[in-house]
Amino acid sequence: MKWWKHVAALELRKILAYRSDFWVTFLGQILIQILVARAFWQMIYDSQGVTTMKGYTLEMMNLNYLIIPIGTRILTGENIGFLAREVYDGTFTRYLLYPLSVFQYKTITYLTYSMFYVFQLILIYCLFRTFISSSPFMLADVGNLISGVLFFFVAAAVYGMMAILIEMISLWADNIWSLAVMLRFFVSFFGGGFIPLTFLPAWAQETLLWTPFPYLISLPVRTIMGLSNFAEVSKGVLILFIWILFFWGVVKMMLKKGSIDIRVLEYETLPKTLCLFPAFFVL
Amino acid sequence: MIQVKDLKKNFTSHVKEPGLKGSIKSLFSRETRTKEALKSVNLEIQQGEIIGLIGANGAGKTTLIKILAGIVHPTSGEASVMGFVPWERSNEYRRQMALIMGQKNQVWWDLPALDSFILLKEIYQIPDAQYKYNVEFLAETLMVKDQLKTQVRKLSLGERMKIELMAALLHNPKVIFLDEPTIGLDISAQKAVRVFLRQYQKEFKPITILTSHYMEDIKELCPRIVIIKEGEFVYDGSLKNVQRMMGDEKVLSVTTQEKTFKVNVPRMELAKKTHQIFEENEVLDLNIHDPSIEDIIESIMRSGVTPT
Repeated sequence: MKWWKHVAALELRKILAYRSDFWVTFLGQILIQILVARAFWQMIYDSQGVTTMKGYTLEMMNLNYLIIPIGTRILTGENIGFLAREVYDGTFTRYLLYPLSVFQYKTITYLTYSMFYVFQLILIYCLFRTFISSSPFMLADVGNLISGVLFFFVAAAVYGMMAILIEMISLWADNIWSLAVMLRFFVSFFGGGFIPLTFLPAWAQETLLWTPFPYLISLPVRTIMGLSNFAEVSKGVLILFIWILFFWGVVKMMLKKGSIDIRVLEYETLPKTLCLFPAFFVL
Repeated sequence: MIQVKDLKKNFTSHVKEPGLKGSIKSLFSRETRTKEALKSVNLEIQQGEIIGLIGANGAGKTTLIKILAGIVHPTSGEASVMGFVPWERSNEYRRQMALIMGQKNQVWWDLPALDSFILLKEIYQIPDAQYKYNVEFLAETLMVKDQLKTQVRKLSLGERMKIELMAALLHNPKVIFLDEPTIGLDISAQKAVRVFLRQYQKEFKPITILTSHYMEDIKELCPRIVIIKEGEFVYDGSLKNVQRMMGDEKVLSVTTQEKTFKVNVPRMELAKKTHQIFEENEVLDLNIHDPSIEDIIESIMRSGVTPT
């Protein structure tokens, strides 16, 4: 078996290592998020006395918030601190000793988590469709689900690279937590994770189309809900691939510099590296 | 073979004044300080040799090891390990090298050791037969056969260190860097690790660089030592030679009503010095003995005197 399959298997074993943590993560958190969103939007629709808001019925809104928590997990993979934690506790050096690419290794661990959450989404989808006939999931068919999941995977590659860029700053700086939280906030807000993007002004929606954000959460979710057409999806995938190429180049460059200077407090190389992705911060 | 020539490493760090004022000031401007961790060091080690790298905390031992393992780039100078430049991190070099750091964990804590070993087998492309033999041999020698299926975080410190050693040696490295492998271990675990390292060295003959603050490790394993002080080598030679060079000295251990102290005295002046101590102090106990290796090395590290 190839080494990357073993890395994936090892990461899966890590996810399954603690029983209670597994069940809380697998079901508990998601159910709480779904229930809170459901109650929140029910209240808004009732207080406004409307049946549709910005193209969303209450049932569609409920489906939207059923998919978003799990979709966001597919997107964010191993989650905040997946690289910085290891840099700070010194275990990152193990990847520098192994005769393989750190970048490849971390990408595989990241995607393994995403795969696990895909399984979670499919399982929850099957449970809801089988046992709750009034579930909003009845609105989404299997074809749309598969397309949306595939879209989420492409989106995860872009988000993963954005996250790795932030995480790699830990090779120089002593704390990257606030930067990582900012990234999560930007992605959730401009990606449609907090509120559907149709709630934003038209000019903002148009501007966002050139950034990766709407393709990270909003479009894959809309694909699962059957609200996007082939042209939209194709354009979205194309734009994501362009962003993948951009971030891939920057990540490679940073990793080269970072692993040269790893934890040696040579801060003078950081500004040079940061200059490479001003576009990222402007966005 | 390891060859190191004029190797230098400087670290730059920020200096922050204490107190709230210092914290606020550091938000806007920070002073930097450069520390020379290694000052132009030279070293040559032959295949099969094991050397002890000794020095106080911050002397530059770990920096040298990290440079030779390819983790840290030097500021200037050259190094070659079996013909490879370490910091180029070629896969071929990394397949033949192992770094074990007593204070850092390389295996995955949340999983049993065997899970980590299976991954390492694939990463280092260890053939099945060699993998089976090595797991068997290492587990038996280190006496951790029963611990291989237990989550690493649930093992004792000594057992974890043995697992770390196993993980690092599975691929039969030709160069081994051991950075304080016995730190924090109890006496019996230290002894077991030493016995294992001696046996491993005998069987596989790798180049080994060992750093340790425990002189027992050095005395039992390293015929040759390098003493490093503030980034410079102050001694490179045999351990026996250090003892021989100080052979014309004796140590007087004196206990008086007020204190206990030691004095190094040239053999020829022993009688005179003893008489003087008795005259000046109310002596309760007095012992005359040869200086221990610990005393000699401490004296070299403190005074920086290079034995000839």
